[in-house]
Amino acid sequence: MSIAARALGGAIRGYQLTVSPLTGPRCKFHPSCSHFALEAIQVHGAAVGSSLAAWRLLRCNPWSNGGVDDVPAKGERLFRLTRNNAAMLTEPTSAV
Amino acid sequence: MLDTILYPLEWVVANVMVIWHWVWSAIGLDPAAGITWALSIVGLVITIRAALIPLFVKQINASRAMQVIAPDLKKIQDKYKGKKDQASREAMSRETMELYSKHKTNPFASCLPMLIQAPIFFALFRVLNYRLEGNASGSGSTEGIGMLTNEVAAQAQHAELFGASLSDSFFNSPGAAAKILSVVLIVAMVATTFLTQHQLTRKNLPASALEGPMAQQQKILMYALPFIFVISGPNFPIGVLIYWTTTNVWTFGQQWYVIRNNPTPGSEADRLHKERLAAKAAKRAAKRGEDPQAAVIEAAPEEESAQKRSGQRQQPKRKSRGGGKSQQLPVNDDKDLS
Repeated sequence: MSIAARALGGAIRGYQLTVSPLTGPRCKFHPSCSHFALEAIQVHGAAVGSSLAAWRLLRCNPWSNGGVDDVPAKGERLFRLTRNNAAMLTEPTSAV
Repeated sequence: MLDTILYPLEWVVANVMVIWHWVWSAIGLDPAAGITWALSIVGLVITIRAALIPLFVKQINASRAMQVIAPDLKKIQDKYKGKKDQASREAMSRETMELYSKHKTNPFASCLPMLIQAPIFFALFRVLNYRLEGNASGSGSTEGIGMLTNEVAAQAQHAELFGASLSDSFFNSPGAAAKILSVVLIVAMVATTFLTQHQLTRKNLPASALEGPMAQQQKILMYALPFIFVISGPNFPIGVLIYWTTTNVWTFGQQWYVIRNNPTPGSEADRLHKERLAAKAAKRAAKRGEDPQAAVIEAAPEEESAQKRSGQRQQPKRKSRGGGKSQQLPVNDDKDLS
């Protein structure tokens, strides 16, 4: 990992340890925006990872429905409008 | 670079303040008085938070819709009952989030609004520090912005609130007046932040969230936060401290409303909410001339037995399902291996 990636990762961990516990859970997605950012930077490096994280933050707005949205694997399409949740099984639920 | 990015926000902040200043002056406050400019900052908070009310309402509606999916949510919780390892927590979180998404309802506020409020705060800091104070001392590029012309900025800079200027900070002020006011505001800021935190964690979290290392850390931070403000606060201009304290008061009030009317299920606030509903039902029954005690007793056990019944009904299903599904889900496979 590059120095930039390490620094960004440290900043995000710092946020998770100090700021985040105080605001309570607020992210609509799983993994949460900060976990997504950490993983994105680990997998795609500082530049692409940060852009992915920024794109996720923009999608984590009051009009989104949230849900499962994983970091795209290397080589996969990066910036998509729909969520990256192929790993989820679709099960019927009683409330429709 | 930072100037260019923040310029539009500074422009908005300055204009909103000047408009509020005009409103306060119009209803008879002295335009050159410190209190008028302090109230302009309060007005700025009101404007920003009022603009965010639709988002707040949306969130409340979403948490109302939660009742519809409550049975499904319970199913997920039962499935992972007693499983405290990381993989099951993760799988549970995934399934829960997916359930919300599927039914287009999500009880969480989302991350973006919080991030948007930070630059506004920073813009106000810059308006007070550079446009007002810099303007007065004649240092740097500090021309007026929007309706905050040089003349208006000079008036704001010379306006004194209890003998202190809005751009004074504890470390950067000539007299004792600003220092005293700064200390008072820092204490108010710490108190409101602490109370908001306390209200959130002690009243509106389910018992399960009050245990474990995360809760412990939250508790430590809640008590450590005042010290952070005591260290950083003296660097903030008085205007920023006013903004922060006011915004805290607003947050506290809004949170109080949510906790009272839409408490998190299973929390202390939820218990009180149900008690109030039961008391109301009893009162209504008394009005109708029925035995109030009967109404309360009727209302309370009904709920309890409903929970028990559903618990019993699900128990046999839960076991077979939990086992069957864990083999289908790749996420759960990891857990079984580890």
